[in-house]
Amino acid sequence: MSTIRYRRSSAIGLVYVAPALLFVGFLTLYPFAELIVMSFYNSSLLGGSSFTGFNNYVKAWNDAFVWNALRFTLKYTLFITPILMGLGYLAALLTAGEQRLQKLTRGIIFLPVVIGLGSSSLLWFWLFDSQVGLFNKLLQDLHVISAPLVWFGDAELGLWAVIISIVWKVVGFGMILFVAGIQAIPHEIQEAAMIDGTGYWQRVRRITLPLTYRTIMLATLISAIGSMLAFEQFYIMTAGGPTNKTISSVYWIYTNSFTYFKLGYGATLSIILMSIIFAATAVQITLTRQQRDR
Amino acid sequence: MTTQRTKRLALVAVALMAMPAFAWAENLTMWVRDSGATLTTRVIDHWNKTHPGDPITLSVIPHDQMVTKFATAAAAGEGPDLLSLDLIFMPDFMKAGFIKDITDLMAKNPNIKKVVQAHLDLATYKKRLYGVPFTPDNSILLYNKALFKQAGLDPEKPPTTSGEILAAARKIRKLGPDIYGWYFSGSCPGCNIFTMAPQMWAAKGTVVLPAGCEAEPLKGESIKQVLTNYRTMWKEGLIPQGAKVDPGANFMSVFMSGKIGMQGSGNFAVGLLKEKAPNIDFGIAFLPGPNKGDASSFAGGDVLTIPAASKHAAKALEVLNWVLTDDPQLEVYAKTGNLPSRTDLAKNKYFDADPRLTKTAQALAVAQTPWTFHFNDMSNDNSSPWIEMLQTAIFEGDVDGAIAKAKKRMKQIQCE
Amino acid sequence: MSHANVAKAPALAARPRAAPERRTARRSRYLLGALCCAIIAIMLFPIVVAFFASIKTSSAAMATPPTYLPSQLSIESYLHIYHYQAGLPTYLFNSLGVASIAIVLCLLLSVSAGYGLARFKIPFKEPLFLLLLSGMMIPYQALLTPLYLLYVKLGLQQTLFGLALIHTALQLPFSIFLMRSSFEAVPRELEEAAVVDGCNSFETLWRVFLPAAIPGMVTVALFAFVNSWNEFIAALIFMNKESTFTIPIMLVSSRIGHYGMVDWGALQAGVLISIVPCVLVYVFLQKYYVSGFLNGAIK
Repeated sequence: MSTIRYRRSSAIGLVYVAPALLFVGFLTLYPFAELIVMSFYNSSLLGGSSFTGFNNYVKAWNDAFVWNALRFTLKYTLFITPILMGLGYLAALLTAGEQRLQKLTRGIIFLPVVIGLGSSSLLWFWLFDSQVGLFNKLLQDLHVISAPLVWFGDAELGLWAVIISIVWKVVGFGMILFVAGIQAIPHEIQEAAMIDGTGYWQRVRRITLPLTYRTIMLATLISAIGSMLAFEQFYIMTAGGPTNKTISSVYWIYTNSFTYFKLGYGATLSIILMSIIFAATAVQITLTRQQRDR
Repeated sequence: MTTQRTKRLALVAVALMAMPAFAWAENLTMWVRDSGATLTTRVIDHWNKTHPGDPITLSVIPHDQMVTKFATAAAAGEGPDLLSLDLIFMPDFMKAGFIKDITDLMAKNPNIKKVVQAHLDLATYKKRLYGVPFTPDNSILLYNKALFKQAGLDPEKPPTTSGEILAAARKIRKLGPDIYGWYFSGSCPGCNIFTMAPQMWAAKGTVVLPAGCEAEPLKGESIKQVLTNYRTMWKEGLIPQGAKVDPGANFMSVFMSGKIGMQGSGNFAVGLLKEKAPNIDFGIAFLPGPNKGDASSFAGGDVLTIPAASKHAAKALEVLNWVLTDDPQLEVYAKTGNLPSRTDLAKNKYFDADPRLTKTAQALAVAQTPWTFHFNDMSNDNSSPWIEMLQTAIFEGDVDGAIAKAKKRMKQIQCE
Repeated sequence: MSHANVAKAPALAARPRAAPERRTARRSRYLLGALCCAIIAIMLFPIVVAFFASIKTSSAAMATPPTYLPSQLSIESYLHIYHYQAGLPTYLFNSLGVASIAIVLCLLLSVSAGYGLARFKIPFKEPLFLLLLSGMMIPYQALLTPLYLLYVKLGLQQTLFGLALIHTALQLPFSIFLMRSSFEAVPRELEEAAVVDGCNSFETLWRVFLPAAIPGMVTVALFAFVNSWNEFIAALIFMNKESTFTIPIMLVSSRIGHYGMVDWGALQAGVLISIVPCVLVYVFLQKYYVSGFLNGAIK
């Protein structure tokens, strides 16, 4: 049953992969290679560029903004990832069945995933506005707060405003991944546990969670990478404020490359950020693999 | 399953997509930022009507990305035939060689001697001219006459010093829990370089943004005085809480609610208020400095330039010449309540109808504009030392520390 | 992948339920139902109030303090957007055009690459796969300037086709990942059967894999559409003429007045206009989703 010639043919396989490879090579890897080269020059979009070796990297090391942005981005990632994964998983547990209400809820939770991040951020920017926004009004009407909050006037509140908006937009994505994982669990296992008299949450802890472990790791990884690369939501909602306290790493890269025209330095910052993400991903994947092989 | 016809249609569509969009249209192309689109559209429409053989196609670019987009295009030898550029960005682009030198071409135009000096200064680099004033605007003090009357202040005697602003704001605040004395957009760097900085440089010898590495940034007592004035107003609750985070989105709308006594604003407020909030009885005054007799304004707006990569420079030059003639200056600018670039036309029949417009034109005479490189980095960008200084001084209270830190950062940017 | 055992129904039915258990079961079902309804309300709230704001008059939309419902209906915000600069139809055409090309390219490239990676023994398969995925880790804003200069050399700047290429490149890593997982989930027996029938690799792809991977392809199409439709920065930098601008650019420009003052009504109208097509595409494609469309991805 295994002597199928074409299946073993690596040549044909390569033919199938080649178009995508060329495409990615041309439109992603080539500019990326240019980026690496640019990071060793102090080129400016306004003209003029000279080789500066590792100067840009040293400059980044000494740049307080780089460290603050990194700290902030890590903080954001560490806050939002558990929230997204936790709420996503709970939503998946709630809606994993086949009843109509469950399917409807699932569909509606997923709905914000298909609208753009820019549109969503503008929408929440308006909702959180202290003069014309309805979020404050809602909270006041529900008697949660007595006076309107100035969400973007405080770095912590601003961070939470962004987190709330992103959770609304993205929780459906994790939920769908988890629903797929949960639905793949064979029913016999669930029944066996029910007959044994195990409670619902115990079942979740002992059966559902372990059997969806890979999904959870995958979803967490994708979510974390996305959060480390967060930019648009901060650009639109907080504009990095107040006093530059909510600038994310990519926001600082954008500012340097596009506002200050410092292409070389912007390239350096991109390389640094990517290396961090790449290293973290490699560690995570290795740990997952070890866990699985155990 | 696709039929032959569908396949053919699809091919045509793809072919259309692949053609550069300008293949068949040889119109003059022009870019303008979204915040200036209204007036510019009127001017260009007027040109198109009077010059049907040489139509201009206008493209509106989001103002936050205008500089990036132009720089990217220019670096690649691309771009429009005409560019309406915020004058504060001229120094960088003139230095980079992205804009055409029009000194000799303009020398024969008599109108060039009669225009706003501040604009000409910003369009000049090493004694060469690179653009003409296009859509000037300037900053003024806007105040609510009704609230003044209620607070016992003379509505025809607006404040003439920072101290008088503070006193008036205090009186107006007492009128009610949701009535405030002053407003400003606390997270809008551009709004404040427009309205706060003139109060600082109204005191002679003050330098807010330095012209280069050798000049000292933020020089002068008035910097601290004005910041302290704002700080006092904030601390005493004379300014609405929402002002802290307003990135400019509510630059006009809060005043239009009729609950603000005074704020720094622009000449465009006159037309806007008459149209969108006709119930408000408002007055216009010069932005005062800390000391009696000091007043100033920010001469802002766009200049019209010809990018170096323009493919129709000769035709574009015609537009530059035309823009300064009487017809558009009066029939488009003045008629719609906008400042004409020609100072000799400041007194005209349209402005005479509303003395407030005349006041805005007079403010142009005392207006200045900082000439500096890296204006964006220094001031308008959201991470700039300018806005950081404002927010730290006014909302956190450390005025001296804020000024010192900003001086250091500005020096660093200029001398890099 | 093991299949669900249909024996579950008899097993459950065989166990008699006591009366109090039934009551608890019903109560918890109502509670869960109520929870679902609450969640639906929360998730829809932002969009619903945005819609109400977009049908207020322009000045009412800027009012402080705000109200939920409009006191007076008006479509002036929508009219403002419709007539803005080149006009809404132009922007819609551009956005749709770019998105369509991006979908087609994404599908072609990711189906092909996913098939190769899933079913063939290629040397260095894993590193290759990681290379293709690496695109997901690059902050793409940084790549835009080198890309722009490259495009100028190729004459691709200012073309909608060129923009679609960039959108495709952005979506490709995720799409390849999805298609590879979908193809890996196809049972070997089906493939063997086709081979026995004498099909070559392409015929097998066409007859066996594609029909089996429709949910995966639908997902690729959906995400390619949504991400292309909403992409802002590349669309802005690469296009020079108003007539080639896309919806997100219009959305950003149309709401701005002097010194960043925002026309809130126009903003809402713009946001809704940009949301509606994505929602329509999503609802339309829903029926192709088998529940658990990402089953393969979780192996």
